[in-house]
Formats: sequence, C-alpha cells, structure tokens
Amino acid sequence: MPPVFNERCIACFKCVEICPGDVLRETPEGPVVAYPDECWHCGACMMDCPTAAIRLNLPPWMRPVAKRVK
Amino acid sequence: MIMTKTIKTDVLVIGGGLSGCMAAINAADHGAKVTIMEKSHTERSGAAGTGNDHFWFYDSDINPQSGWTIPDMVRDISFDGEYGKTKGGLMDQGLLEIIAEGTKECVGNLESWGVQFKYDKIYPWNLQYEVPEGEKRFRIVPQFQSEWDTLNYDGRDIKKRLTEQCLKRGVEIYNRVAGTGLLTKDGKVVGATGVNMRTGEFHVFRAKAVIMATGMDQMRLFKAQSGDWFNSQSPPYITGDGEAMALRAGAEVFVLQAGKTRNAGFQYLRNLSRSSGTATTCYPAGRFVNSEGETMIRHPAVREPLRKRRENVERSIREGKTPFYLDWTDATEEEIRYAEWSYGNEGLCWVILEIMKDLGLDFRKDAFELDLEPAGMLTGGFLALFIDTDCRTNLPGLFACSPVQFAGEVAAPTYAVLGWRSGEKASEYALKASEASLDDLQVRSEEARVTAPLMAEDGLSWQEVNKELNNIMDEYKGYIVGWNLPDEEAKVSRTGLRNCIAQIEELKRVTMKARDSHELVRCNEVMNLMDVGVMMVKAALEPEQYDRGFWFLGKQVDGEPEFRKTPIVIKYPSKEGA
Repeated sequence: MPPVFNERCIACFKCVEICPGDVLRETPEGPVVAYPDECWHCGACMMDCPTAAIRLNLPPWMRPVAKRVK
Repeated sequence: MIMTKTIKTDVLVIGGGLSGCMAAINAADHGAKVTIMEKSHTERSGAAGTGNDHFWFYDSDINPQSGWTIPDMVRDISFDGEYGKTKGGLMDQGLLEIIAEGTKECVGNLESWGVQFKYDKIYPWNLQYEVPEGEKRFRIVPQFQSEWDTLNYDGRDIKKRLTEQCLKRGVEIYNRVAGTGLLTKDGKVVGATGVNMRTGEFHVFRAKAVIMATGMDQMRLFKAQSGDWFNSQSPPYITGDGEAMALRAGAEVFVLQAGKTRNAGFQYLRNLSRSSGTATTCYPAGRFVNSEGETMIRHPAVREPLRKRRENVERSIREGKTPFYLDWTDATEEEIRYAEWSYGNEGLCWVILEIMKDLGLDFRKDAFELDLEPAGMLTGGFLALFIDTDCRTNLPGLFACSPVQFAGEVAAPTYAVLGWRSGEKASEYALKASEASLDDLQVRSEEARVTAPLMAEDGLSWQEVNKELNNIMDEYKGYIVGWNLPDEEAKVSRTGLRNCIAQIEELKRVTMKARDSHELVRCNEVMNLMDVGVMMVKAALEPEQYDRGFWFLGKQVDGEPEFRKTPIVIKYPSKEGA
C-alpha cells in the first residue's frame, strides 16, 4: 500500500481531494488507497496533509540503493 | 444512466497543469470567460504538481552584463550547447525565441503571485551580479546550458499559487474531469467532451476556442523500464489524451520515430526520479562517480562538456567500474543544505528526501546507486501537436501549449511561456468568434464511444489491453531499428510495421470493461494511446519520415493518414558549425 495513514489522521480528506492519480477514496473510516497499483509515489498527499499523518511505503523496486561512504 | 452536464464558455483549457493554468490566467486577463477541464486537481496536477526548482530564463538587466543574448540562448539549446548537440537540429527556434523572451515577464508574474524567486542571501556558487543596495537577488546557476541562466527557487507550491490566481479571475475549474474528445462544426473546433473520474458524469463544453494543455508525453504507450507503469519521471497519467483528441478531430501532429540511444548513461535513482540524477537539482553538492569513486562529472562543473562525461562513463563501463553513484559526501555542509533546499522544491526529489529519512539514509554519508543505461537502448517514438508561433494548430479554434513540437529542453519555462501566450491568442480569437452550435449527433456518438466500457457486460480490463499495446509497440521498435544510427542505412520492416497496424486496429475492436468511473477514464486513456500508437506506426512506413532537417507532420482525413514534411526553419545557425 503506497500511502500509509497513522493515528494523527483527522479525516479531512485533503489527500483524497488532491491526489494526482485519483487513487484515494473517502470512507467513513478515513481515507483509503483504492487503486494502490496506480500510485505514482509523488508524495502530494504527504505534502498537503495538515497533521503529518501520511508516510509513503515504497515498493522494493523504487527504494534507493545506497552504500555508506562516510 | 449517465448524467450529462453542459457548460458554455469562451475559452476551454484542457489540462490544468503549469501550461494550462498560465493559459487560463492570461485568457481571463484578456477578457474571456475561461473554463479548465482537469483530469486530476489543479493544486497538484501535472509535471510541476509537486514542484519545480529550476527555471531557465533571460533577464535583460542581468545577462547582457556577460554579453549573453537571446540568440545565444536559442543557439545554445538548439545546436552549440552540450544539450543542444544532443537535439540533432530538431528544435523550433521561432518558439524557442518567444520562450526566451517571455521568461522574465513570466518570473515576474509568478513572483507577484507569491512564488519566491529572490533572496537576501545568495551563495558563492550563484552568479554574482550587481543590484541597488538592499535589493534581493536571484539564485542563478548554470544548468544544462553554457551560461548562468537558470534560477533555483521555491517552486514547490507553484500549482497552488496558480490555482489561486485562476480562481481569483473567475476561471471555472472542473477537477477530475478527463478530456475525451474535441467537438467540431464546419471544420472548426467548438468545444470538447469529458468524463468525471469519480462520478462518471459526462461533460459537454461549448467553447469558442480550445487550448490543449494536456502535457508532453504518452506514458504507458511503451513498456516501463522498471516494469511498473506508475514508476516514472513524468506523471504516469499523461497518456497522450490531447494528442489523440487532436488526431481524431483532424489536427496536424509532429511525429518522431523511436530511436536508439547513442551513448551509455546513468539516468535513474532507482527509477523513482530520473531528474534526480541528471538535473543540477543536486547543484552544487552532487558528484557522479564510478564504483572506484572516480569522478564522471563534478558539480558545480555542469558546464563540463557532456562529451567528456560520456567518455568517462563509457571508459568506466569498458573497465568494469560500475555501478555509478550520485555522491554528495565530499560537499561542504553549506553546499549540502543548498542542494537539499533545491532538491526539496523539485517534484519527486522531495519524496526522495522524505524516504531517505525513513530509511536512515543521508546525503552526507551515503552514495546512491544510479541505474545504468546502455548505449544502443531503444527509446520510444513521439508525437505532439504542431503549432505556429501564435500557438495555433491547423484547426481554427484549436490552440496548444504543452503537447507541441520540440521548443525548449527546458520544460517549465517552455510550458509556462507558451501557456501564457496561448491564453492571449485564444482569448483574442474567442472574443471575435461567433457563437457556435454543437452537432448533437456528434455529442451523442462521442458519449456512446467514451462510456462504452462502463456499459459493457464483460470485457478485458484496461491493464490487459494496455499490456498488449505495449507488446505491439515493442515489436514496432524492433521493426524500425537502426534507422537513426548515422553509419547505417534505414532498415524498416514494412511487413512488420503493417502487422503492427493490423494488430492495433484489432485491439481497438476488443471490448473493454470498466467496473467504475475511475476505470472508465483508464480505459479511455488506453483508447487514446492506441490512436497515438497506430499513427506513429503508420508514419514509420513513410520513407520521408527519416529525412533530417524537416518536421514530419501527419493528420487523419476521413480515417486515413495524410503526411507531409516541412523544413525546420533555422533563424540562428550554429556558430560552431559555421
């Protein structure tokens, strides 16, 4: 599931309003990811969340591969 | 039963991204009643949706201090600069000149709407220039070009500021309505249709002028490099809708065939954001190194010729010194803070910074692997509307500002300035145009075509049809392989290409099933991609498609393609080539 909502979510549904891919939907329980495969992982939901209730859970193929240099 | 909503306006803008919002604002300022039809939501939609941090521009108060002129900029981007050299002369210098001239006004407008471009503090790696005591300055860097002509700025919320300005001017915004077709009467464009992605409501817009601003890509036409359609640099929701609508209405498009990359490179930071690797979004902290830590390109040495960088990269590949890394660890704390600020204003790069926090990664300590792009990799073809310097297409009433022929390699300023210009031109046209009536039969047949997947009892999903289209387009790339390599003659398999056309035509007849209005829009996107794809393959059969120095143009007349070519006008020839 791309965006993950935590307990700080106040169900204002700003994320549902602005999601560029239309992947989120309003439910009585709060926002849900209705079309997880179509998430661009652009972070717009996280950016606009007024309570910092969203983090993005990236699929393995999108995660940066890093090596510690220092 | 699907509900239909009818809206009357002077200027309809299809697509409310950076270009569409700029178009709407200026059309309204020129007196027109303006409506935007937007598939997403204008606050965060389009390629600038979550921000832009670099803006190529010309300032008549600053650049002449170093002797840099607008013709120099045009030459730089089309021929002489390291970026220009990669374009093979495929640039519209007429548009490019307008863009360069328009950037200062554009930046001034954006500033007045609350986008911060000027700062009390500028850094040693920014262009040092004189201003009157107490005045703020731009943070100017050299980016892809040969001169100090790119601004770093706080552009993360640029779409919010543009949306505010649209609303302030009474622009009506229809969010979540995807454009599906243009409406024509007596050869003129008189409106468009769309469908709401959440309610399924069919929209009919009656307009005196239409501006196509649907973005510069056909995502999901070809297989995704990472295997995931939605893991892309540009929004994966830019699916050639505008190009397909224009083609069906008889508008002329520019077609470019698939090619082969000539040089190896490194483009991706695990695919999430191509721009992170190549843009100077990591300026001045980033360094590109090979597996031995040897520098391939050093920032702030973006002016270091790409040629040298390619040699470095290809030597490292031959010597097995891969993978390549984006490495900021040698930079000073001040440089890293600047680069993080800039990075954080640039679209997907902000997400990378957030993800790094979650994963415990830090640019101060970690180097990031870049995906390797081998030389000779096949790239997809391309198709876009063809406009004149007043943003007019060949169809009266239809203007375009973002899916257009190659003008700038500088996306945000190109689309901001062309959007602005198209708004003015479309408004002037609309205010003189007479009220057009719609062809009811056309509207009803369009509604039936668009909503068919929702009505179907059974059928293939949009994903199944999209995958098969990808397979056919992959075959097409194989059949034209080699045509663009300078040392090889064109080898085009005419039989293979005809087979591809037949396969796409057959795929278009397959029944698609949408379970809801969201899927209905995805089905329509695939229908659009098929129309774009088949035109691209048909063009590949034309021998003249492969001539250099020309725009290759095509349109559909009564369902049949008609092609022509027109010379690329060179107003400012290469100085180096002379």
